[in-house]
Amino acid sequence: MTTQNAAAPETAAPDMGGLTRRQIKRMKRFDNPWRNPKLIWGAALLLGIVALGLIGRMFWDTDMVFTGSGLPRQAPVGFENIRGQIGTWAHPLGTDVTGKDILALLIVGAPNSLYVGVLASLIGMSIGIFLGFSAGFIGGRTDDVIRVGSDVMITIPPLLILVVFQAAYGDISLTIMAILIACFVWQSPTRLIRAQVLSMRESGYVHMARLSGASTGHIMFREMLPNLVPYLFGSFIANVTTSIVTAVGLEVLGLGPQRVPTLGRVIYDAINSGALIQNLWWWWGIPTVLLAVMFIGLLMVNLGLDEVSNPRLRRL
Amino acid sequence: MTILDFKDVSIDFPTSKGVVHAVTNVSLSVDKGRRVGFIGESGSGKTTTALSAMRMLASPGFVSSGEIHLNSLPQSNLLSLSSEEMRNVRLSHISYIPQGAMNSLNPVMRIERQIWDGIVAHEGSVSQSELQRRSDAALESVGLDPKIVASLYPHELSGGMKQRVCIAIGVCLNPDLVIADEPTSALDVITQRHVMQTLRDVQAEIGAGLILIGHDMGLMAQSVDEIAVLKKGELVEFGPVRQIIEAPKHPYTKELISSVPLVGGESFLDPSTASGTKPTEASDPTPLLELRGVSKSYGSLTALHTMNFSLDGTVPKIISIVGQSGSGKSTMGSLMLGFNPPSTGQVLFKGQDINRQSASQALAFRKEVQAVFQDPYACFNPFYRVNHALKFPFERFGLSQGSDHTRQAMEEACKAVGLAPETVLDRYPHQLSGGQRQRLIVARALMLNPKLLIADEPVSMVDASLRATILKNIHDLKDQHGISIIYITHDLATAYHVSDYVMVLYHGQVVEAGPPMEVIGDPKHAYTQLLISSIPWPDLDRDWGSSEDARTALNELAQIEGRHDAIFRGEIPGFSLTQS
Repeated sequence: MTTQNAAAPETAAPDMGGLTRRQIKRMKRFDNPWRNPKLIWGAALLLGIVALGLIGRMFWDTDMVFTGSGLPRQAPVGFENIRGQIGTWAHPLGTDVTGKDILALLIVGAPNSLYVGVLASLIGMSIGIFLGFSAGFIGGRTDDVIRVGSDVMITIPPLLILVVFQAAYGDISLTIMAILIACFVWQSPTRLIRAQVLSMRESGYVHMARLSGASTGHIMFREMLPNLVPYLFGSFIANVTTSIVTAVGLEVLGLGPQRVPTLGRVIYDAINSGALIQNLWWWWGIPTVLLAVMFIGLLMVNLGLDEVSNPRLRRL
Repeated sequence: MTILDFKDVSIDFPTSKGVVHAVTNVSLSVDKGRRVGFIGESGSGKTTTALSAMRMLASPGFVSSGEIHLNSLPQSNLLSLSSEEMRNVRLSHISYIPQGAMNSLNPVMRIERQIWDGIVAHEGSVSQSELQRRSDAALESVGLDPKIVASLYPHELSGGMKQRVCIAIGVCLNPDLVIADEPTSALDVITQRHVMQTLRDVQAEIGAGLILIGHDMGLMAQSVDEIAVLKKGELVEFGPVRQIIEAPKHPYTKELISSVPLVGGESFLDPSTASGTKPTEASDPTPLLELRGVSKSYGSLTALHTMNFSLDGTVPKIISIVGQSGSGKSTMGSLMLGFNPPSTGQVLFKGQDINRQSASQALAFRKEVQAVFQDPYACFNPFYRVNHALKFPFERFGLSQGSDHTRQAMEEACKAVGLAPETVLDRYPHQLSGGQRQRLIVARALMLNPKLLIADEPVSMVDASLRATILKNIHDLKDQHGISIIYITHDLATAYHVSDYVMVLYHGQVVEAGPPMEVIGDPKHAYTQLLISSIPWPDLDRDWGSSEDARTALNELAQIEGRHDAIFRGEIPGFSLTQS
């Protein structure tokens, strides 16, 4: 690779001869780094969950999340519950012990879980970008305060604080939940961006921009930020994962929003009502599968973005 | 007897954009005890060719055809060896001295242990006293005192010493062939001479063949017996050094030789342009740039001692600041650009302290003082097309009268530095070569038409054949556009040709200053004399001297340390310098 880079324009006429069509096709795939299979599959899985929420609302009655919408303990279509009743199309994924429709719960709950994760991560990233840039660019005392602050915060286990906090406050909305989680996901983007800004601040093009009379804002947001985009994306996705794990963890403990269906809440209800011993596997199993799909999607997007921003990871 | 034969070797790199033929059909032989130089510009395949003999090509490169024979092996074809056999060949038969010694030594191991590592890896268990004896001998052979150096860590050594340790490791198993990849590119000229002489002596002593990779024709002329000139992966010329230097056949070789500027030699600048000097309005008596009692220290280290100078911009001048790494020349550049405040004193531009300006004054200052930096690869934001670097300041300083005007100005500037605007302006930085990028930076300075240009090592990272062109472009800025230039460099020969006044800096002190004819043409200060005598000339009759000379030179350098005498060699109108 180094030889190719060093020889930029003069030798940049690679020879495509002597390769099989299959090899050429594999190479072509890398012409546009965004057409990365991992990225596409991961995004497709995540979009699938969003689509479940959007399309589901159009074709399914979401009022069935309320108690008594149907007969209790119904199995999914084609399965039998312990009383020998066969699942019907009225409740394709079955019902819980109070007769709530599982499909309706998932249609409302899955996007809610994703929403908490994305919102928490967005807020966390914004704080991280702001603090990271301030620390790296201004330096001195500001840098010391921000660096020590984020280093201390990184050592505090978030679940402990959140459990105590939410136990004290009781019922909260999804947005408040996201904001609370955001308080614990800004540290690593802050550190990452600070480190990048510190090295970028001495780079030639930042010197050039200063010579061009650029304002500090211009240097930060027009010269430096675009070059950080791959890092920011990666960090964002990793934060979404962390936030969802935290949110689900709290919900499974029975904390967080009490009246809004989320995947964690469905699992909490299932465990609490003895779904495991009553063999109501669809109640806790299907939301768990959906969470797994969500995490796999996020992981693949993250791996894909890594390859996009770091060409060395791309293999022929 | 030949020790290494390349037979029709081709090396390919399959990449996402297709196969890059890094080396095509190279055939050459290295004789036992002979030194062969591989010379060429970056990307010419010289390192790739040499590394293929060690089978250490960077992934995904591979030897696609041809054979490489190391004749001291019973089974000489290197490409057919298993990887375990190849591992045994490395260091014991072919050794490699890397480019950046500072990155090649293990920072947590003492020097002697790093030598033992190689011995133990090849010979199994060796008794401690034997290891000690051999590492001491290896260090002695490169002129280092084993009693002191052996138990030190790499960070405790200077750059030249580290490079000599790398040589010691390379020769400790008496290899048949040594490959040295630009071993002195990170060193200053005085140290370079010493390291090269050491390498030559050691190689002669063990009788190994040597492949020296480099891009400097002068260094080659002083160090090798035969030269192989590579261009774009092809061997364009191969022959004894005298024949290559004195009667080059290939036009590319001629170009490489003529691109080395000589002190006292013919100027590469066209004298006819000098007549068009355009003086700027001479109404204002305030000097353009004035350093008043300026010094800079970082903690306890003084990078620049107190200095006063004033540059009157009425008649544009090129002032050269010459010095080796660590001399404080780049510190001076960043002080003058206002990137760093001085520890004491003031930097005044048109009578105003540049570190105490209002926002509008700062903008006016930026408009009138521009710079060309060393690294053309870093100067463009990889996110934008290259025209961003030209367009943005032009609009920011209010010079633009609409986008058509900006475009026209950019195209004119490109043409003035010899670039075709349509082929460069709308491309991304990585699509251009270093030379093109550096010329664009010069074009940018031209477009903004500043009063003062700080050029910090503008050509040190550009391929040799383009250096003269870029310096010519910069020189034209003075003559045709009336821009005064501060030229910061380590290269005395170019300073000799372009500048009106030269100051030689050593450890933050001016040691000699005056017009270039006197300072560089006939140096009086011991340090300047040393610098001049250490330059490798691409002239076989002008010998570099023996390693004894090089060692004396280093001792002399040690004596200069701490002396505070500056020799002033005459004045030129419009510029004055004093150091207290």
